[in-house]
Amino acid sequence: MSIVSFLLIIFTSLFFTGIVIRTKSIFSGRKGPGFFQPLKDIRRLFRKGAVYSKTTSFIFQIAPSIYFASVLMAIFMVPFGNQPGIISFQGDFIFFAYALALGKFFIIISALDTGSSFEGMGASREALYSLLVEPAFFILMGSFALLTGHTSFYEIFGSLHFGSYISYGEGTLAAIVLVFIALIENSRMPVDDPKTHLELTMVHEVMILDNSGFDLGLILYSTNLKFAMYGALIANFFLTPGYEWYYSLPIFIGVQIVFAVIVGTVESFMARFRMNHNPQYIFMLTSISLLIFIGVLILKKFV
Amino acid sequence: MDMNIEYFNLPFTTLTGLYTGIILTAIFSVIFLPFLRKEWKGYTALLAVFINAAISSFIAIHALPGESVEQTYYGGNVFGNIPVCVDGLSAWFILIINFTCLTGVLYGIGYMKSYEEQKRNSSLHWILFVLFHLSMLAVCVLQNGLAFLIAWELMSITSMLLVIFEHYRAETLKAGINYLVQMHIGVAFLSIAFIWVYFSEGSFDFAGIAAFFIHQRPVWPFFLFFIGFGIKAGFIPLHTWLPHAHPAAPSHVSGVMSGVIVKMGIYGILRMVLYLNTDLIRIGESILILSVLTAFYGILNAAVHRDVKRMLAYCTIENIGIIGMGIGIGLIGKGIHNQYLMLIGFAGALLHALNHSLYKSLLFFTAGNIYQQTHTRDMEQLGGLIKKMPVTALLFLCGALAIGGLPPFNGFVSEFLIYSGLIEGIRFGGGAQFSSVMVLCIAALAIVGGISILTFSKTFGTVFLGSPRVVLTHQPKEVSLAMQIPLYLILFIMVMIGIFPGIFFDTALSIASQMSGTISVLPEVMPGISPVIVTVGRVSLLLVLLIAITYFVRTKISSARTITVQPTWGCGYVAPNSRMQYTSKSFSKTFAKLFSYITTEKKKYFEIAGSKIFPLPRNFQSHYHEFFEKNFIGPVNNRIFAFMNYFMFINNGNLQMYVLYGFFFIVILLVATFFNLL
Repeated sequence: MSIVSFLLIIFTSLFFTGIVIRTKSIFSGRKGPGFFQPLKDIRRLFRKGAVYSKTTSFIFQIAPSIYFASVLMAIFMVPFGNQPGIISFQGDFIFFAYALALGKFFIIISALDTGSSFEGMGASREALYSLLVEPAFFILMGSFALLTGHTSFYEIFGSLHFGSYISYGEGTLAAIVLVFIALIENSRMPVDDPKTHLELTMVHEVMILDNSGFDLGLILYSTNLKFAMYGALIANFFLTPGYEWYYSLPIFIGVQIVFAVIVGTVESFMARFRMNHNPQYIFMLTSISLLIFIGVLILKKFV
Repeated sequence: MDMNIEYFNLPFTTLTGLYTGIILTAIFSVIFLPFLRKEWKGYTALLAVFINAAISSFIAIHALPGESVEQTYYGGNVFGNIPVCVDGLSAWFILIINFTCLTGVLYGIGYMKSYEEQKRNSSLHWILFVLFHLSMLAVCVLQNGLAFLIAWELMSITSMLLVIFEHYRAETLKAGINYLVQMHIGVAFLSIAFIWVYFSEGSFDFAGIAAFFIHQRPVWPFFLFFIGFGIKAGFIPLHTWLPHAHPAAPSHVSGVMSGVIVKMGIYGILRMVLYLNTDLIRIGESILILSVLTAFYGILNAAVHRDVKRMLAYCTIENIGIIGMGIGIGLIGKGIHNQYLMLIGFAGALLHALNHSLYKSLLFFTAGNIYQQTHTRDMEQLGGLIKKMPVTALLFLCGALAIGGLPPFNGFVSEFLIYSGLIEGIRFGGGAQFSSVMVLCIAALAIVGGISILTFSKTFGTVFLGSPRVVLTHQPKEVSLAMQIPLYLILFIMVMIGIFPGIFFDTALSIASQMSGTISVLPEVMPGISPVIVTVGRVSLLLVLLIAITYFVRTKISSARTITVQPTWGCGYVAPNSRMQYTSKSFSKTFAKLFSYITTEKKKYFEIAGSKIFPLPRNFQSHYHEFFEKNFIGPVNNRIFAFMNYFMFINNGNLQMYVLYGFFFIVILLVATFFNLL
């Protein structure tokens, strides 16, 4: 049964970017591409041949696979309400973060492998922004470890229950932090604009300029997976124990859809920040997670 | 355990014989090395180190499960009894020393080939290496303050002389003297601490320290010990020798220095921690906070520096911080009687010490490969080496992943332990005080991990990937097999710890439980931790398998498709050259600006005047200041120098004057005796 969350995440990942794109086209009054266009793009890429740069080495060839595998590995650890993930052990969220970091490391060095100044620039930004996100995630998980007394995703979410106003506030703030983390980790607005046409203003897109064919497909699909994965984490805050599957399943899907619509809405109504404002913006997440921590201290009657 | 005592107890004569064997090996190699042919010197040193390592490992493995092998020798009136004791803690460090020194010598033989012609210099080098190994072993086993200090001093001096192998270079000599002076400041603190204990307890024996810590408040004496050992370990602000000494030394020496010399400081601190039983929380929290700052400061500087070996030296500082965090967590756990926290903290520190010695020596050795082939340590001069030196590149990559704490390598296992300790501290820390400290530490550790990923993606990317930035006069090629073998050995152990951490962790755990002092460890606490670590190893293996499957599928599918090779996409620009690549400076520039109050940048350039229509070639220089050197040590040094200037007339270089000073001294003594002043 522990495979449920994995299957659900894979399932939602198929629609996620479709919903984002539909939201954006509705808001901008366009007819827009179809629901399955992102998936069709990826399928097309999987069938294409590839062009490799002369400068690159085996790092460039292996990096997309590692990136994809690291995201899959992280998904293995995400629980679904009362069901643990495929892998669950004490401190699994540490492994979760570090597996994702491994993928990021390789995608960064594969960008440097091309020897292009643009891709180096993207790599530098990606490394910087993802390092700034890390503390927020760990403070968040630390706070919930304190609140519930457990140290794995499954046990934390399994024993999380909201009773007082503060705890509702905690849940909401945590969901907000995770939405922001997901936006930053997936290089979306307002940190990065995936649809920009100028390489100088890109972060993630410029890193993968030289990737093509199957590798590019893997990278793009990993983005979908990552979205669905963070969506599943957020959904877990609302899948408090005691719910039967016919409640939790709609809640899960509902949260994912709302999350996708939020992403689309943010992208429709916000402009990308100036690059030098991004670090401040990302640090804000750390302060929100510290708020959560203080809330937990109050809940535990420490303060 | 009772049954085992019989088995583990080595008889007195055997043990004395073994110790004599170690010392004799060292003496023989010292006497005979200079007379050997130049190509045999390295191998003889290898043989000597190997014999000593084999003997000491034999004793250490006996002591590792917890039965300490103890022997007392009488050292005359001055020393008193000298206990020579190999307990779990010493055994752990002895094994680390032996492995790193062995791989160091093996690598050094290949590395020193090009210096073979300097016959006297290389004889001295190999003699010193053997002595250096011996002195570190002695530091681990001697439990008499005075004897310990002598071994400690021997270790400092031999390592300093090893650092200045290329003594004909001014900056190497300067780094060596800097190191020597700082080490002696450390020795001064240690001496004061040992003498303090001596006056209170009447003995230099380490057992006296334990007694001393019980009936005295241990904070101040421990503080002295911590400074003395901390200088060796490289806690801020005592770290300033590291970034100078490591780049100056030959690579195998810097590998061994960073791998084990620095760990001797950690050993000393752990040894003193062993005797602590009061004031644990205060000391633990101080160490934890200092360590977090050390880790952050170290990695921050590593991220901005462009000299490969200097970057690695700063990374050593970072890792010392992480080890220190483990010690701090362990102490807090001991203080609040949380056995799980205590065990996980100390075991994490021990395991990270082992892991760091492995991947740091691997990284320094690969940096040596780069230096040997390109004769530069400046990242901005390198690039594209992965095509010329694929093995070095791969090994460096593994080291970089391990030091970044990424699975499936060993660095992740120990960082996981430290994280688990912090989470445990947040969870059951006993109040807002501990939870808050630990949550800030976990945030700091997370950001340190992030910065180390930035640092090593930058380093690996600029040195090995892309295309060469400068045309080198000698084309680099892969190093000889002899230089590769020790690196593979290290990598093998690293992967073993990463995938099968159980056995290593259990050993560290049993040593950690010996460190509990008066608090007895309940037998049911220990088994709870090991399965998690074993799972971490298995999950890492799963990750590797998943990567392999993905890559296999990807290769299968794309091999059926057409593959073309083209120049890198230049975004429409058709004449890119290799100087346009992102440099290491530009890679970390945005990051460095965020923390510009610590990593202050110094630029040297002239603005182009508006009147100049045809600008001439110009220079632009930029480098980063070391915060502590610039703001604290530099100004204090300058004051001291300025003050000392007034006494320059004494030191005037005339021999006659010096003889006169001696005469004055005798006269003063006579007069003083005459008036009964002395």
